[in-house]
Amino acid sequence: MNLITLAQDGFPGVMHALTLKHYLLVSAIMFTIGLVGFLTRRNLIIMFLCTELMFQAAGIALVAFSRFHLNATGQTFVIFVLTVAAAEAAMGLALVVLLFRRRESLDAQEWTELKG
Amino acid sequence: MYLLCAVGAMGIAMALPRRKANPQIFGGLIAATAGGLGILLLGITTVHQTGVSNLPNIYFYIFAFVALAAALRVITHQKPVYAALYFILTIIASAGLFLILSAEFMAFALIIVYAGAILITYLFVIMLATQSPDENDQEVLAGYDLESREPILAVVAGFVLLATLLTLGFRGVDTLPTPASGTLAASNALMSEMPQKVEAALKIAQPELGKFTIAKFESGAFKIDPVARTVEVVLADKTEQTVAWPDDLQVKNIEYVGFNLLRDHPGTIEIAGVILLMAMLGAVVLSRKQVQMDEDAKARAVRAMQAEAADQTESLGVLAPGAGGVADAGATMASDEAAMAGGAR
Repeated sequence: MNLITLAQDGFPGVMHALTLKHYLLVSAIMFTIGLVGFLTRRNLIIMFLCTELMFQAAGIALVAFSRFHLNATGQTFVIFVLTVAAAEAAMGLALVVLLFRRRESLDAQEWTELKG
Repeated sequence: MYLLCAVGAMGIAMALPRRKANPQIFGGLIAATAGGLGILLLGITTVHQTGVSNLPNIYFYIFAFVALAAALRVITHQKPVYAALYFILTIIASAGLFLILSAEFMAFALIIVYAGAILITYLFVIMLATQSPDENDQEVLAGYDLESREPILAVVAGFVLLATLLTLGFRGVDTLPTPASGTLAASNALMSEMPQKVEAALKIAQPELGKFTIAKFESGAFKIDPVARTVEVVLADKTEQTVAWPDDLQVKNIEYVGFNLLRDHPGTIEIAGVILLMAMLGAVVLSRKQVQMDEDAKARAVRAMQAEAADQTESLGVLAPGAGGVADAGATMASDEAAMAGGAR
C-alpha cells in the first residue's frame, strides 16, 4: 500500500531545493569512511565501530529513499537495521571481551589464525 | 568530482594514525576541505539545474558536515574512547538529517538506540578491554592503536568504491517530491482507521457540536469518508450530521510508521524480536565462559607480576607476592593462576 506524505506544513519550503542526491552523497561518503576505517584500523573495537558507521550510512540512504518515494517502508527497514546493529554490537562485543581475556590485546592481527 | 575524490582520499590517507611523521591535522584539513567542496559543488549544480536557490538548506549542510567530520575523527582518533564519543556526534548529526527528511520517529529512535544503548555498550567494553594505566597515571596507548594497517591500499580501495558509486548513482537531479494530492488521499485513507483521532480533532475544532459520536455502518466500520474529508456524526439528540474534517488533520510520522510497521510488515517486528533475543542469549552465554589465557600471554602476566612484586619489595620492604595483583582487567581466573604460578617460584 502506497501511503502518504510526511512533510508537515512549513517544512517543504526548506526541502524544495534539496535533492535525493545530497543525501546519497552524504551516505556514500560516510560508507566509504567506514570502509576505510574497517580496513585500516587494527583495534577490534574500532573495527566494530566502523561497521556501525556503515550501518548508519545505509540508514541515511534508506530514510532518504523513503522520503523520495513517500512511503514508510524505508523507515520500517531502518528500524530493522537498528535491531541488527544492536544485536551485532551485543554479540560482537561479547566476543571481543573473550578475545581480550585470552590474549590481553585487541590487535586484529593477533588473530590471524583462529584455532579455538 | 573525481579530482575531489582523489584529494579526499589523499587527506584521509594522511590523517590515519601512523607511528612517525604524523601529518594528522593537515590530512584531516585536506579531507574536510575536499568533502565540503564536493557538497558545495553539488549545491551549485543543483541550482543550475533546478533554478532554485540552495541557501535555505543551510541546516542540511551543517548536519552533513558535522556528521562526516565526526566520522572522519572516528576512524582517525588514536584513543578508542574518543572514537566512540565522536561516533555519538555522528549519530546526533545524522538524527538532524533525519529531522530534515521529516522522519522524526527515526531521528529519536536513532538517538535512543544508538547513542543511548549501543554506544554505552561500546564504552563499557572499551573500558573493560584496555590495559590499565601504569603507576604514573600515564595512559598507555597500545601499538595497534597507534599504527594503521595498509593505509594507502585501503584508502585507494575505499575511494574507488566511492567513485563508482558517484558515477552510477548521480546522473540527473531527483528533487524530493512535495506532498501531492495523491499521497494526501492515501493519508486520508489511513485516517479512516483512526476514528478517535478524528473525533478528538473535531471536538477541538468545532466545540459547538457538543457531545457527539461518530456514526457507524451496520458492519461496524466508521462513517468516515477519506475522499471528501467528511465524517458523519451522531449528535446528542440522535440526529446525524455530516461534518468536514479540520483542515490540519493529517497523519503524523509516528502514526504513519506505526501503521506501516504493524499492518504492512508484521513479520519484520517478530523477526527483530527473535534476533534481539538470540543476541541477548548469545552474549550471556559467551561472556559467562571463563577462558584460559594463552601460554605466552600467561608468561607475560607472570613476568609483569614478578616485576611488580620486586618493585614493591624494593620500595616498601614488604614481601607480598601474589597479593599485589596483576594490573589487568577482566582476566580474573587467568590472573589468579598466574599469581599462583608467580608465588610458586
